[in-house]
Amino acid sequence: MSPATVRSTESLLGLGALPSAQLLQIRDLVYRVAGIFQPDSKLGLLESRCRKRMQILGVTTFQDYYRCLTVKPTIQAELVALLNEITVGETFFFRNQPQLDALRNIVLPRIVEARAKMSPRHLRIWSAGCSTGEEPYTLCMMLLEELTGQLKGWTFEILATDLNELSVAHAEQGLYGDYSTRTLPEHFRHKYFIACDENLQINPEFKNYVKFSRLNFLDEPGMAAIKDLDVIFCCNVLIYFHGAAKSRVIEHFYDNLLAHGYLFLGHSESLYKVNEDFRLVHLPSATAYVKSEKRQLASPVQA
Amino acid sequence: MNNQSQDTLRKRLEGLDQMPTIPVILYPLLRHLEQPLDRLDLQQIVDLISQDESLAAQCLHMANSPLFGLWQPVDSIRSAVALLGMQRVREIAVSCSVLQLLPSGAGNVDPKMFWEHSLACALVCRQFAHRINFADPGKAYLCGLLHDLGIVAHLWIVPKEFQSAYEQARTQGIPLHEAEMTTLGVTHCDTGKAVADRWHLTPDLVAVLSCHHNPSAATVRRDLVALVSLSDLLCRMSGLGHGYVEQRQVNFIEEPAFAILLQECPALKTFDWARFTFELEAYMEEVHRLVAVLYGRRS
Repeated sequence: MSPATVRSTESLLGLGALPSAQLLQIRDLVYRVAGIFQPDSKLGLLESRCRKRMQILGVTTFQDYYRCLTVKPTIQAELVALLNEITVGETFFFRNQPQLDALRNIVLPRIVEARAKMSPRHLRIWSAGCSTGEEPYTLCMMLLEELTGQLKGWTFEILATDLNELSVAHAEQGLYGDYSTRTLPEHFRHKYFIACDENLQINPEFKNYVKFSRLNFLDEPGMAAIKDLDVIFCCNVLIYFHGAAKSRVIEHFYDNLLAHGYLFLGHSESLYKVNEDFRLVHLPSATAYVKSEKRQLASPVQA
Repeated sequence: MNNQSQDTLRKRLEGLDQMPTIPVILYPLLRHLEQPLDRLDLQQIVDLISQDESLAAQCLHMANSPLFGLWQPVDSIRSAVALLGMQRVREIAVSCSVLQLLPSGAGNVDPKMFWEHSLACALVCRQFAHRINFADPGKAYLCGLLHDLGIVAHLWIVPKEFQSAYEQARTQGIPLHEAEMTTLGVTHCDTGKAVADRWHLTPDLVAVLSCHHNPSAATVRRDLVALVSLSDLLCRMSGLGHGYVEQRQVNFIEEPAFAILLQECPALKTFDWARFTFELEAYMEEVHRLVAVLYGRRS
C-alpha cells in the first residue's frame, strides 16, 4: 500500500482532503500540552481556529504557526490564545448531555450507595471553573429533579468557583440570554426560570443550592479547604495549567474527593500521563475518572 | 419462556434451520485471506468481486469512504486494489458480503444496526491492533467483522424470540448476550460457534465467535479473542453498539480481556484509552453515514 494514498495510522479517520502533517502536529501538541483532543471530525474546526490566530500574528503557513506554538518566547501566550479559540463559546445549559445522563444513571446510584453508610444524607458537588454559571445551575436543576426519585430524603449543595470575578458576578446574578439557553429543555425553562425581557433569570429560590466564589487553583490553602466532595466537574480549565502546576491541581482534586468520588473533565479532555492516581472509567457515551484503590490503601486518612 | 420451549429453540439454533448458507463469495475470500499477500493472484480476486455487480458497487462505495483513508476517488475494483492495496480491498469485500447475509427484516429489530456494529468493531479492532503492535491487524479486522455472526443467525432462525431479547437488553441497558441467555437460553456466542463449525471457519474465528464475551474460555488465540472483546466493549460503550449504549461503568484495565492481551502486547500497558475513545467520535459519524448509504443500496 502506498503511503501517499492512504492515511497514516496516526489519524484514525481521514477527512475529504488530506489534512496537513503540520495541522496533525498541532493537534498532537495541543493534546500533549493541554490534554484536549480534537478528533478527526473536528480537524476542520481546529484548522479554522489556527488560521484565525495566524491572521492575527501575520503568519501564513502552519509550519510557521507550529513554530509560534513551540519556540520561546511566544509559547505560553500563543498556546493560551489558541486554547481560548478552541474552547470559546462552549458554555451553555445542558452542554454535555451524555455526561449528565451518565451522572444521573450510573454515578448517582453508586454515590448514593456509598454515602448511605455515612450521615447525613447529603451530596457535595463542585463545579470547578464554573464560568458564568451555566454548568452549576444545570447540575442543580438535574439534582432537584432527582429529589423526588433516587435522591428522595437527600440534601445537596453545589460549590461553584471561577478565577474570573466578572464571571462569578454574572453567575450570581443568574441572567441568561438566547445563546446560553438554546439547549435548555422547555420543562426546565418553565420550572426554574423567570422571563426577564429578552432574557431568562434563574428563579431566586433555587439560587441557594449553588454557592459561588472566586478561586484560583494555585491558591494552596483555598484548594486544601475544599473537602468531602462526591463529584468534581472541571471542564476545559486544566488546559490552562502545565507541568507541575497541573499535577498539583489534580492532586488537590484527589484529596478534595471522598473515596467514592468522581472527576468529570470536558469533552475530549484527558489526564493521560498527567496523573496516575485517577483511573479512567467508561460510562455510557462518556468518560470520567475515579480514585484508584492503591493510593486509598496507602493513605486512608485522606479519604 | 419455559425450559421446554428453550430446549426447542436451542435445537432449532443448533440445526441452523433457515440460516442461509455461506455466501458464495465469502468462502473463497476467506480462503484467500489465509494466504500470504505475495502469493495472491490479484486478477482472481478482482474477478471474484467483479462477478457480483451489486457487491462490486458496494465495495466501490466503501472504498471511497473516508473510513478507508483514500483521498482520491476510485471507479473500479482494479483501481481500488492499486490505490488501497489488496489487504484493504479484501477487507471491504468481506464486509460487503456479510452485509448481504442479513435478512431484510426481523420484526421491529433493524438488522442494519448489527452490520453497523460489526463494521465499526472491525475498524476499531484493526486500529487498536496497530496501536498496540498486535501482530496481525488484518486478522483483527476480519474477527471484529464476524464476531457477532451468531446474532445474524438469531435474526434468521428465531427472529421473534430474538426481538424480545433485544428489547429487554435495550430497555434495561444490559449486554445483549445476557438478555439472550434469559430469553433464549443460548447466546449469540453459542449460535456463533454452530455457524462457524457449519461453515468450516478457521479455529481462530471459531474462538472469536464463541468466546468474545469470555476470552478466558478460548483454547486458541486468546490474545486475538481478547482484542476483539475489548474493541467490542469499547464500541458498545461509545455509541457504536447495537443501537443502544449499555448502562454501566467499565474500567478497561480491570477487564479479564485486558490481562490476557497484555501478556502478548506489552504496549497495551501505556495505551491511551481516553484518546482512542475520543477518536471514535469521528468513526461514529462516518460509520453511520456509510451504513445508511450502503444499506439503502442493498439488493
